[in-house]
Amino acid sequence: MSTVVKRVLLTLLLLQLSSLAVFAAIRLSGGDVTAARLPASATAEDRELFREQIGLNQPILTQYVDYLGKVVRGDLGNSLTNNAKISTLAVEKIRNSLILGGAAIVLVFGIGIPLGMLAAFRRNTWLDTSISSAAVAGMAIPNFWLALLVVWLFSSTLGWFPPAGAGGFKYLVLPALVLAAEGIALTVRMTRSAMLENVGQDFVRTLRAAGLSESRVYFKHVLRNSLLPIISLAGLRVGQIIGYALVVETIFGWPGVGQILVNGVLRRDYPIVQFFSLLLVIVVTLGNLAASVGYTLANPRLRK
Amino acid sequence: MNLFQRALKNKQLVVGSVLGLVVLALGAFGPLIFGAYDTQDLLLGHKPVGTPGFPFGTDALGRDLAARATYGIRISLFVAVSVTAIAVVLGTTIGLIAGYVKGAVDTVTSWIVDFVWGFPLILVAVLAAASIGSGLVPVILAVGLVNTVAIARVVRGEVLGISEREFVVAAKAGGYSSVRIVFRHIVPNVIPVALVLSSYYVAVSIIAEASLSFVGLGAQPPLPSLGQMVSDGRNFIRLNHWEATIPGAVIFVMVLSVSLIGDGLRDLLDPRLRTAVERASAT
Repeated sequence: MSTVVKRVLLTLLLLQLSSLAVFAAIRLSGGDVTAARLPASATAEDRELFREQIGLNQPILTQYVDYLGKVVRGDLGNSLTNNAKISTLAVEKIRNSLILGGAAIVLVFGIGIPLGMLAAFRRNTWLDTSISSAAVAGMAIPNFWLALLVVWLFSSTLGWFPPAGAGGFKYLVLPALVLAAEGIALTVRMTRSAMLENVGQDFVRTLRAAGLSESRVYFKHVLRNSLLPIISLAGLRVGQIIGYALVVETIFGWPGVGQILVNGVLRRDYPIVQFFSLLLVIVVTLGNLAASVGYTLANPRLRK
Repeated sequence: MNLFQRALKNKQLVVGSVLGLVVLALGAFGPLIFGAYDTQDLLLGHKPVGTPGFPFGTDALGRDLAARATYGIRISLFVAVSVTAIAVVLGTTIGLIAGYVKGAVDTVTSWIVDFVWGFPLILVAVLAAASIGSGLVPVILAVGLVNTVAIARVVRGEVLGISEREFVVAAKAGGYSSVRIVFRHIVPNVIPVALVLSSYYVAVSIIAEASLSFVGLGAQPPLPSLGQMVSDGRNFIRLNHWEATIPGAVIFVMVLSVSLIGDGLRDLLDPRLRTAVERASAT
């Protein structure tokens, strides 16, 4: 178990470093943060005064300690563009992103695993070939282009779903589908190859010799042995999904963490960029940790 | 059967290579044939595919989409191939050292790897764009850093496994120098993995560059990045869908070609995986 404890401690240290890195990266910014708030006509003195007000003249490390102190007291700062409290924004944005990400994960496994199983069960038939080819294509299609195509088809042409925005289930369908697409394709491939890997094992021969039906062998025993790598992939996928969510939320105008972060960068709203990118790093690092701990616990051979 | 004959029988490799050659030819000769990518003529805006003089039509500003898309291929491939080449060389070297030397060097390397691993690629690029401004440079830095780390991670694992195999143990017992062992016995066994990974990371880089340009953080106008062309074209999807569908299709074909080559190479070069699949198919 000491491996797990060590891993957790190391992760905490990593998070500390990550937050400092994000903090410094944004402050090294060559751009003018005052442009977010002050009108174009503001004088150089006005700008300097504004920098002083928000504490940008202090050394980075001092600012960092200040920031951490405020965060501990629950003060996340305010947006530079509209002065909204970040803590209020965060609740809403995180909720929206969780809804979108959750829906995408349900689609990834709900569609990916059954299709992968089917392809493995009917391997080397036309069904397998079509599922596998679709999966290869699914991994190659850029998600922003897919987004455009589904909006064109389901929104502009058929009028089934709204093209962008938030508010109810109808708005969720297209972004969730686009966000899930690459994950579904990857899960299909992983499931198929993990199952085929297991079919060659001795226990399968034994089960067959014991007279179990082929579908029972596949969908019960082979599947159970194949799930571990697929599930642990889920933890590692968190990072990927979050990365893509930045793009997908921007395209569909889904008011989540990704959208506010990208807009923050474009508007040089650094308190926003700082908080939301840190949030993402924490989530991804914890996802990686969960994947590796989960894998260690589930696989006795890796325990020390 | 030698490697070349086996390669010719590998459908994914063949289809991927053919698609790849088509894309390369378009990127190489397209800009020469279609001329400048930024000639504007508002009177010629929104022309569909097949317009005389504009085989792919024109965009809102009347610029030739064929010239822009083929030049976009150059930008995309330049970023993807150069970044991946650097990442593969650096990542493999780091992975080799960490995996072979082990001890403190390995521990520190693993910390750095875990640290960078916590940042999704797109987020690193967004942060890079936030700190040095939008453009191709932050995209190259971000993709290069993340891919180097990803490759180092995999190569290290491979090296750890290979160093315990009999032929390495025997070479050590035989008193050969570390340099000789690494270059003669370990590197040849790591190369297939590095090749397969590099094709995968070329695909990742193409998509990353296109996505960032799409949201406005990548290549800046008037440079014709394919991602940005899709973004420009989406406002006119009902009027003239070609403006968005053509650059998107080009990205798709590029990524598809590289992924197919990667899958094909993996089957061809990694016998362990191949036998596992064949064994499974034979039962």
